[in-house]
Amino acid sequence: MKFFFLFTVLFSAWLNYAQDPNELVQSVRLKLEKVKDYTSDVHIKALVPMIKIDEVDAKVLYKQPNQMKVESKGIAILPKQGLGELNQFLSNEKAYTCALNGSKMIGDVKTAVVSVLPLTENSDVILVKLWIDPVKDLILKSQITSKTNGTLDVNYYYGSQAKYGLPYKMVFTIDVKKFKLPKSVAADLHQHKKKPKTNEGSQTGTIILQFTNYKVNQGISDAVFKSN
Amino acid sequence: MLWKNTYNEFVKILAKPRSYIGLAALTLLILIILFAMKADGRMYISFVTASFEQTLSFNGNILNGNLIAFIVLQMLIVHIPLLVALVTGDLLSGEAAMGTLRMLLTKPISRSQVVYSKLIAAAVYTLILVVWMGFLALIVGRWVFGTGDLIVLNSDGLVILNYADILWRYGLAFLVAYLALMTIATLSIAFSAFADNSIGPIVSTMAVIILFTIIGSLDVSVFDYIKPWLFTTHMASWRSFFNDPVPWKAIWESVWILLAHNVVFVSLAIFQFKRKDITS
Repeated sequence: MKFFFLFTVLFSAWLNYAQDPNELVQSVRLKLEKVKDYTSDVHIKALVPMIKIDEVDAKVLYKQPNQMKVESKGIAILPKQGLGELNQFLSNEKAYTCALNGSKMIGDVKTAVVSVLPLTENSDVILVKLWIDPVKDLILKSQITSKTNGTLDVNYYYGSQAKYGLPYKMVFTIDVKKFKLPKSVAADLHQHKKKPKTNEGSQTGTIILQFTNYKVNQGISDAVFKSN
Repeated sequence: MLWKNTYNEFVKILAKPRSYIGLAALTLLILIILFAMKADGRMYISFVTASFEQTLSFNGNILNGNLIAFIVLQMLIVHIPLLVALVTGDLLSGEAAMGTLRMLLTKPISRSQVVYSKLIAAAVYTLILVVWMGFLALIVGRWVFGTGDLIVLNSDGLVILNYADILWRYGLAFLVAYLALMTIATLSIAFSAFADNSIGPIVSTMAVIILFTIIGSLDVSVFDYIKPWLFTTHMASWRSFFNDPVPWKAIWESVWILLAHNVVFVSLAIFQFKRKDITS
C-alpha cells in the first residue's frame, strides 16, 4: 500500500513536471540550440490568392543566432515570419512566459498546447501558441500572432533530422490582405470584361516547404550571409 | 517597279533628319529608364509588391533584365506612336508640300503602288524602331541586370513567370506591338493622303490616339459598346502574353481588330490618293 501511494505521488509529480509549460518550451529550445548552423535544399510550393507562381527550388542557409538566407535562381515567395523567427523568439527565455492550455491530438500524437506570451511591451509578437510533442520535444504546430503580420499557422513534419528539431516539411497558412490596384497602374487590357468579384477582406494562402539534403553543424562563414 | 520604288521611298525616309529623332529619342529614353532602375529600382519593386510584403517576402533577383524590358515596353508603347507618326504622317503629304508628287507620278507606277511602296517603307521603318527598342530593352537590359523570373502586376494580382518561359512571350509581344504601331503608321498615311502639308497628318494622328485613349479610359457605360472596337484599346494587347494562362482568344480578337483597322486605313489612303487632284 505504501509502495502504491509512493508510486502515485511520484508519478503525478513527474506528470506535473513534464507538463510544466516552461519546461516543455525549454526542452524544445535546447533541442533547437543544438543546431549551430545548417544548409538545406528546399522545394517551395506557394498557393497564395492573387499570386500565380510556379514551384521553386531554393537553398536555405542558417547560422546562430539569427542569420538566415534563402538562395534562389528564380523568385521564391516565403512567409515573412516563421522560418527562423520562432527559434529566435524562443531563444531568449527571459523575454516570454508560458502557460499550458491543455492538450490536443495531432494525428496520433497527444500534444501539449502551450501559449507563449512576450514580456516586453514593444514586441511585435502578440502571442505564440505551440503544439508540442512532449515525448520527442518537437513542435508539431505553431501559431504566431504579430502586430505587423497578422496570424501565421505552421504545421511541422519531422523525419531524419528530428533529433535537431528540423522538419522535412513545413506548411504555412497565412493571412493575405486583399489587394487591388487601379486599372491605370496595372494597365490590364482585358479588364473591361468584368470578372466576378471575389470576397473582400482577408484571405488565406498556403506555402509548403519541403526540405532535403540537410547539412547540420558543418560550419558556414558569416560572409555568406552578407553577400547578395 | 514596286520594289524599286519602295527602295527609293526607304532611302527618302533615311535621308530625312526627323527619321533619326525617333531612334535617338528611343535610345535616350531607354537609357534613362535603365539608369533610373539601376539607381533606384528597388523602390519600384516595393511599389509592386507592397500589398504583400507585410505577410510575404520575395527572394531572388526580382530586378532583372526581363522585368526591365517589360517596364520599358509598358512605358514607351504610349509614346512610340508619336515617333512613328512623325515619319509616316509625312510620306504622302510631304511630297505634296514639296511639290515632288507630280514628278513621282510620272513614273510608270500606279497610284496604288505608290501608296503600297510608301506603306512598305513605313513598315520597315517601324520594324527598325521596334527591333531597336527590343534590343535596348531586352538584350541591353539583360546584360546590365542579368536574367531571372518575371514579376508582372495585373489588376488581379501578381503573375510570376519562370525565366525559361519568357522569351517566346517577348517575341510574340513585340510582334503584336509592331502590329499596333503599324496601325498608327497606316492611320497617319491615310491622313497624309488627305493633306498637303506635313504637320496636319501627324497632329491629326496624335489627336485621334489621345481621343480614343481618353474614351477607352473613361469608365462610363455609354462607351462600353465602342471601346472594344477602338484600335487604342488593343494597342496594349502585347501585355496579355504575360498572363498565365495566356488569353489566346482575346489576343486573336485584338489582332483581327488591329488588322481590320490596317486594311481600312490603307484602303482609305488608296481611295483618296487615287482620286486626289495633284496640283503641285
